[in-house]
Amino acid sequence: MNDLNLDRLFNPKSIAMIGASANPSKWGFIILLNILKGDYSGKIYPVNPKEDSILGQKCYPCVADVPEAVDLVIITTPAKVVPPLIDECGQKGIPFGIVVTSDFSETGPEGAALERDVVSRAAKYGIRLVGPNSMGIFSSQTKLHAKMPPIMPLQGNISMFSQSGNLGVQMLGWGAEEGVGFEKFVSSGNEGDLSCLDYIRYFGQDKATDVIIGYLEGIDPGMELFPVAQEVSRKKPIIVFKGGRTDAGGRAAATHTGAMAGQSKIFKSVFRQAGMLEVKTSQALLDCARAFANCPLPKGNRIGIITRGGGWGVITVDACEENGLKIPQLPDKIIRKLDKHLPKYWSRGNPIDLVATIAHDPYLDCLEVLAEWEGVDAVIALGAGRRTPQYPYSKDVKGPQPLLDAIKMASEYFDQRRKKPDWMLEGIGRLVKRTGKPIIVVAIGPETLHRSNLYEFQVVSYPTPERAVRVLWQMCKYRRFLDSQQ
Amino acid sequence: MKLIEDALKRGATSLSEYESKLLLAEYGIPITREGIVSTAEDAVKKAAEIGYPVVLKGSGEAISHKTEMNLISLNLKDEEDVRQAFKELTTNPKAEVKEVLVQQMIKGDRELMVGLTRDSQFGPCVMYGLGGIFTEILEDVAFRVAPLTRWDAMDMMNDIKGKKILEAFRGKPAVDREALADILLAVGQIGLDHDKVHEIDINPLKLIDGKPVAVDALVVFE
Repeated sequence: MNDLNLDRLFNPKSIAMIGASANPSKWGFIILLNILKGDYSGKIYPVNPKEDSILGQKCYPCVADVPEAVDLVIITTPAKVVPPLIDECGQKGIPFGIVVTSDFSETGPEGAALERDVVSRAAKYGIRLVGPNSMGIFSSQTKLHAKMPPIMPLQGNISMFSQSGNLGVQMLGWGAEEGVGFEKFVSSGNEGDLSCLDYIRYFGQDKATDVIIGYLEGIDPGMELFPVAQEVSRKKPIIVFKGGRTDAGGRAAATHTGAMAGQSKIFKSVFRQAGMLEVKTSQALLDCARAFANCPLPKGNRIGIITRGGGWGVITVDACEENGLKIPQLPDKIIRKLDKHLPKYWSRGNPIDLVATIAHDPYLDCLEVLAEWEGVDAVIALGAGRRTPQYPYSKDVKGPQPLLDAIKMASEYFDQRRKKPDWMLEGIGRLVKRTGKPIIVVAIGPETLHRSNLYEFQVVSYPTPERAVRVLWQMCKYRRFLDSQQ
Repeated sequence: MKLIEDALKRGATSLSEYESKLLLAEYGIPITREGIVSTAEDAVKKAAEIGYPVVLKGSGEAISHKTEMNLISLNLKDEEDVRQAFKELTTNPKAEVKEVLVQQMIKGDRELMVGLTRDSQFGPCVMYGLGGIFTEILEDVAFRVAPLTRWDAMDMMNDIKGKKILEAFRGKPAVDREALADILLAVGQIGLDHDKVHEIDINPLKLIDGKPVAVDALVVFE
């Protein structure tokens, strides 16, 4: 695998922005503003022959006038002027470019010809290009927000490539809401030059990246997705969301095998063979990324479950078994340990049902016993991550005085509990570190809850058991792949 | 390989069933006991060699959808049956049959399928799935890029919804997964060794005491 170093693309010391604009309806304004607002650590040089300064930055008539070396050029001009601009950038010795401009191969043969022109000129000078038709890049190290929407992603250890700019930046936005942070992001656009394969390769060797995620629609024939992905998968997980899974129409083929060989079926198989983890929904992409980036990998597929209610335990067991995860029976020694913390009538099985105990202490004690037991590889903790909510009390409520008094009392009790530091989540975080096993929390609540669980306590939580189980299933699949490669 | 070179030289777009299975056999894939004959006399002789019951199939390049063209006679129990079937096949109005394939009859309890396709992206890919009519109805198949590792082959068997087909059921033994893996690996190797081979169908792959045997096969050129 050749070493393609994209460090100066993602972490440039200086950027020239051709097509920088003072007009807030232009991408040349919006992207520049995002870069400035994001507090980019390097230097930025707007280029526009018609302006002296833009957004308080001195403006240069052409890229040759920029007084120092430039690592990265961002181009937002109309398509037809891009080819000569590439020559100028080449003469300036700029190694990387992002062509945000659209109206290239995505629009038809004329655009495709223009794109080939741009790419071949860039190749002549050795410039590596992102795009065209890219929504930009993000890099947490240099705080570089060189992208269209004003989304401010959280910092993290996940790097993403996306063949759809919209879908990609939406993931960054969701991530920010849910506490899932990113290290690098690239909207790969038309992939006239650099392709998703180059990004997979680069993220694979990037020390700041622990997890790679991607949105993929297609790749050009002959590109070596399989060997590259298989090699990178041995080092870090690649979670992939494939768009265009349905094969339009049947295929005419001479054999049954040929007729079955729809693109989607082959991709699905290749992902599995290469150790890539395919998800089927945008939500699952971020769900998986969250756990892989923040949890240790389970060593096997034996799951311990702890619950505050019977029904949740039952559906979690169902989901586990349907996904090939095992629910081991508790041995006597573990039951005896749990007996100390639970009422006499507890069920003495896995899932451990806390039978409507409100208090936090027995929950954490039991969770500790379960997580430390060598018979489980991972734990699902149902109803653990929810902090005491605000009592739904309103001053406008009407009714007899005793009822109003009672509501007020309840409200005060809830408020008092809410003020306590959340040692339960802290305890879970510590337990994950100590046991080296993932403990996935399921808690009904808004995304802000899961954001703070993750961001403040490094606890991975989901609103439903089904989502937690799917994520664990993917983790076990990845473990199996790693084991098979040894 | 001479078999493939000869076929290409005479401008064939595919190998006959008999030739296809000779190619598979070269790669160690178990096939039915069989032989090509052109007279009723030889058919009877061959059937005796193979052992009854036998199957007779019309053979030739242009013949690939034998069931639809009524070119298969199953479960022939004696000489009389063979002579009768031979006559019917060679006088079939739908096809000009000059040669007939006499083949060991396998009453498989379940049917699997193994194939090869040459993908523009990933090159030769091995396919595995449920065989017979279920191939097309359920489309329950998995692919692996060649060359396959043994782990890939084993993993592939669990990568279809109908994975239980390999387990013991109704008094029949479980399928010999190692033997099946050998076949999957061999088919991938054929794809790697012969650029001209575009697609392969082994359908059905039947089971004798848990051991898979290629009962019908088709090799198609580019």
